[in-house]
Amino acid sequence: MNRFRAIRLVRSTLIYMAVIIAVILSVAPIIYLFVTSFKPAELTFAVPPVWNFAPTLQNYRDVFAGGTFTKYFFNSFIIATSTTLIALTLGAFAGYGFARYPFRGNYTMRLGSLLPQMLPPITIIVPLYVLFNTMDLIDTQWALIISYLTFSIPLSIWMATGFFSDVPVELEESAMIDGCTRLGAFFRISVPIAAPGLAATAILSFIYCWNEFLYAVILTGRDARTLPVTITSFMTNRAILWGRIAASGSLVLLPVLIFAIIAQRYLVRGLSRGAVKG
Amino acid sequence: MTSPETALPPITQAHHRWLVFKRRMEPVLFISPAFIVIAVILIYPLGHSLWLSFHEWTLRGFRRGIPFVGLQNYRDLFSNPDFLNSLRITASFVLLAVGIEFVLGMGLALLLNHDLRGKNIMRALILLPMMCTNVVIGLTWRLLLNYEFGLVNYYLGVVGIAPLEWLSKPAVAFPAVVLVDVWNTTSFVALLLLAGLQALPDEPFEAARIDGASPWQSFVLITLPLLRQTILVVLLWRMIDTFRIFDVIYLLTAGGPARATETVSIYVYRYGFQSFNLGYASAASYIMILIMLIIAAVLARLIGRIEN
Repeated sequence: MNRFRAIRLVRSTLIYMAVIIAVILSVAPIIYLFVTSFKPAELTFAVPPVWNFAPTLQNYRDVFAGGTFTKYFFNSFIIATSTTLIALTLGAFAGYGFARYPFRGNYTMRLGSLLPQMLPPITIIVPLYVLFNTMDLIDTQWALIISYLTFSIPLSIWMATGFFSDVPVELEESAMIDGCTRLGAFFRISVPIAAPGLAATAILSFIYCWNEFLYAVILTGRDARTLPVTITSFMTNRAILWGRIAASGSLVLLPVLIFAIIAQRYLVRGLSRGAVKG
Repeated sequence: MTSPETALPPITQAHHRWLVFKRRMEPVLFISPAFIVIAVILIYPLGHSLWLSFHEWTLRGFRRGIPFVGLQNYRDLFSNPDFLNSLRITASFVLLAVGIEFVLGMGLALLLNHDLRGKNIMRALILLPMMCTNVVIGLTWRLLLNYEFGLVNYYLGVVGIAPLEWLSKPAVAFPAVVLVDVWNTTSFVALLLLAGLQALPDEPFEAARIDGASPWQSFVLITLPLLRQTILVVLLWRMIDTFRIFDVIYLLTAGGPARATETVSIYVYRYGFQSFNLGYASAASYIMILIMLIIAAVLARLIGRIEN
């Protein structure tokens, strides 16, 4: 009996160690970025690395100098939020349709709805540029909102389908017997119950838009530029300003990481729920 | 569902048909707006791209006209060693990266499937790399993998391993890019597989234990088959994502050194936006879309077969 317990103890210690190593490897580069952002310029490249230093806000001051960073921050925020609102609305309706009506080809169609999300941005960006150019939308927030809908709508459909499947049909049925219409049942029963999942859907869509780089770098210039493009602007022809890259990078990551941790459970469930059940 | 026939006894045939039609149209009304919006956005870019791929459009010549060249762009592509190189690089990248991510991710998922204390916080932290902005990932790793003052080489030196020219030597740059992708997305694979594992029923595993199956046997004979659908969806998602990878590699190596990390996306970018040979770049795009559709179709077929 004692031997059995010893084996179990060793086993669980090994499991904990392996998981903790995975956690450290996942987080270390992110922490390194945050630490670097507070390092004085002369220590950024110090070998061996210096971990014990007086933190400075100089890099952050440099990033905000000139005021454009704040503008681009709001660009990113407005573009990601608007895209998400549109995509979530359309995605919730479609997701509900997929979850509630088991018509033939339902699952295939759902997988098919992911195709636009899978489309390599590089393949449509040239004609998109031409299109937006003739519509006078280059370097506007609309150009990115429209482009981002191509992946955020499919993503929202996929996530929302999973969350609506989890809402018991019986609740809606009894509401409809009591005279509720289909649309009424959707808004008054399903949406409130699926709300946390829909919130996670919104968060994921927001993160995808917030992080996007290729469309942004090509379709925007001085006015509608977003944060990922701004970060790369600190790589100039003469030098790569690592301090500023670390500081702006940290600022871009911070909201994403907070959102991801808050919504963690629902994010994973939403992404996998669509996969697990047909 | 409430059946209108029983709720309203005296019903005409026409009315009945109308109700059935209405019921049939309900899912269409819910689903179609999303599809229509996507179609409206994509139809012109996809069409124009296809049209361009059969024409010659260069920055020098487009003012004089955009001549139709038939399949010339496609022929040129397949005789261009750089394009073939980018296809080869992309294929090995997809296989290697997704392969490693799958093995590591499965291992991590099995570990996290135990009853661990602090499981939620650990899961949340493991999730972070996949949520990070790709630009930031590329640049952070570029700093970490720097030959002279990167932390990776420094700590390798501490354990007695000679520094590697991670990003400037062709033979090392490719594995380095794979490594960064593995860091970036193993958590995605792990967490999705974990969700799949948690949805599995307990009974088959208990039965196997009673019959004296080893953990490895029950993994191969029970877990993997039951998890097939999740595995395929994860693979589909990851393969497509890796296939079109751009940002991370672009910021790490920009496709270099000596094209050792030049994936198709980066190749198309160079032709579309640096050489402005749009017809040629569009043809390359369509080959990309075609390959992607084939991957998606094969995996979707497999998934569909399991479902039935």
